[in-house]
Amino acid sequence: MLDDRLGGGFPRTSTLLLFSDKPTEKRVFAENFVVEGARHQETVLYVDFYRMPSLARAELSRFGRFPQDRLVFVDAISAQLMVESAEAYHVDRIDSLADTVDVIVRAIQEERPSRVVIDSMEFLSDRFPRDALLDQWRRIIAEAKAAGSVVCFLFINWTYQERDLGAIRALSDFVLEFQSSMRGGIVRNSMRISQMAEGGVRTNWIPYTFKDLIGVTVYFPRLMVTGPFNAGKSTVVKALCEKSVSIDRMGTTVAFDYGNVNITGIEAEIFGTPGQERFEFIFQIFAREVSGVLLVVDATRPEDFERAKHMLALIGPHIPYVVLANKSDLPGALKPEAVAGQMDLPDGTPVVATVATESKGVRDALLILAEMIIGVR
Amino acid sequence: MAAGIHGRLIAVLQELRRIPDVLAVALARRDGLLIAHVLPKSMDPKRIAAMAASIVGTSEMAAGEMGLGPFFQSIVDSGSAKMLATGAGEEGILITIVRTDANMGLVLLSVGKAVQAVSNLLEEAAVEPEARA
Ligand SMILES: Nc1nc2c(ncn2[C@@H]2O[C@H](COP(=O)(O)OP(=O)(O)O)[C@@H](O)[C@H]2O)c(=O)[nH]1
Ligand SMILES: [Mg+2]
Repeated sequence: MLDDRLGGGFPRTSTLLLFSDKPTEKRVFAENFVVEGARHQETVLYVDFYRMPSLARAELSRFGRFPQDRLVFVDAISAQLMVESAEAYHVDRIDSLADTVDVIVRAIQEERPSRVVIDSMEFLSDRFPRDALLDQWRRIIAEAKAAGSVVCFLFINWTYQERDLGAIRALSDFVLEFQSSMRGGIVRNSMRISQMAEGGVRTNWIPYTFKDLIGVTVYFPRLMVTGPFNAGKSTVVKALCEKSVSIDRMGTTVAFDYGNVNITGIEAEIFGTPGQERFEFIFQIFAREVSGVLLVVDATRPEDFERAKHMLALIGPHIPYVVLANKSDLPGALKPEAVAGQMDLPDGTPVVATVATESKGVRDALLILAEMIIGVR
Repeated sequence: MAAGIHGRLIAVLQELRRIPDVLAVALARRDGLLIAHVLPKSMDPKRIAAMAASIVGTSEMAAGEMGLGPFFQSIVDSGSAKMLATGAGEEGILITIVRTDANMGLVLLSVGKAVQAVSNLLEEAAVEPEARA
């Protein structure tokens, strides 16, 4: 989904900077990136300063099957350990910046890979003078451009000042910043993509997760489905999720609906609330760390719209939301524009006509919400 | 007729309330509406009915999920009192609040009797909730 918004992924011959404060978080993204390329039968190049290629290959098997022969390594570790390299491309003189980059450049020229990962630049920035490194950095970019590659530099900064960082960012077409935080024993990873060109896209912090065999996906730990009683909230949760539970008694949700969705690179945990006032205490339990809200209204019952807005307010301020004008199959159902008008929604608030019982429009609403959260809409 | 049932339900709740260490008693419907109560003024009976329905709904679901067999009761064990939310027939939940150091043998026996009486009465007539939300 992100790929679409960035115009079909990162365009060929672009330069990415993957920037973070911890080593492992962004590597998985870089690995995902090369594996995806290999899956498209493209040649991809991985320059590894930290792992033996044999170990890296073993670790990449977490992503599931992909054509291994499409993945070419530049072995920049064997020389550090003073062992013989088994790879076609290997750095022999790791104490020489020029020699090291020569090997990388030769691999790019000969293999013409669609994707190149350099894992990672801080290995070089720790050992060699800044200006010399920046020159070599530019040289790699120039060679990658000539070969039509997308080159992806991993970089943890612990030596450079903001000014030098600015220069490095300016060399890049996209900067992907990575962050991880822990709250209540749960680690949340997120990233933010900035397109460096004038007026380029800049996303919000996007939570993501890694899953064996699937790879990196956008992950929303909590999306809420709320709205008045009988609007169709539980039906929406059912329609979105392959498996869901609804704690319903006598036709009323008495606690919550819960389900997990997995669609086109997005995973989310969905929580549906009860609709009636007497269950409002539930909001205090679930309305935390909410990334976004699907606000379900019965499009034939404008008298409930005020209640719907009240429920939205209960979840909290400044949370992205999409309104689902549900039961749009029923006679007299208001059109989305009419719902927006009668609810007096702020301009640009998305309203989607849905028929939850037939799963119509529900996914579209979720995708719109995801784009709003990510900040590409 | 319904009014008669309501009176008899209240009588059952009051009888349970008279057991030593029982502090309060209420009867809710499974969807969280209040049927009847003998709660002190400090408690909001409607909110308590809704919360008990959430607790029972979630507990019952969890019991099923974990394969624990048919659901009977949830106990909320807190600093100065316990709250027992007991399934009473298909539609009812009997809420009993007891002192934390209560004689639980006696309490459980009395709750069991009350549940039986309440189930019979609820079956006898479809009881209208006290108020609609
Ligand atoms: N015609 C129609 N009925 C719907 C639609 N969505 C839900 N319903 C029905 O509306 C009723 C309430 O749905 P439910 O999901 O339980 O509502 P909730 O109280 O908001 O959770 C159920 O009988 C659903 O089958 C819809 O899009 N069209
Ligand atoms: Mg519901």
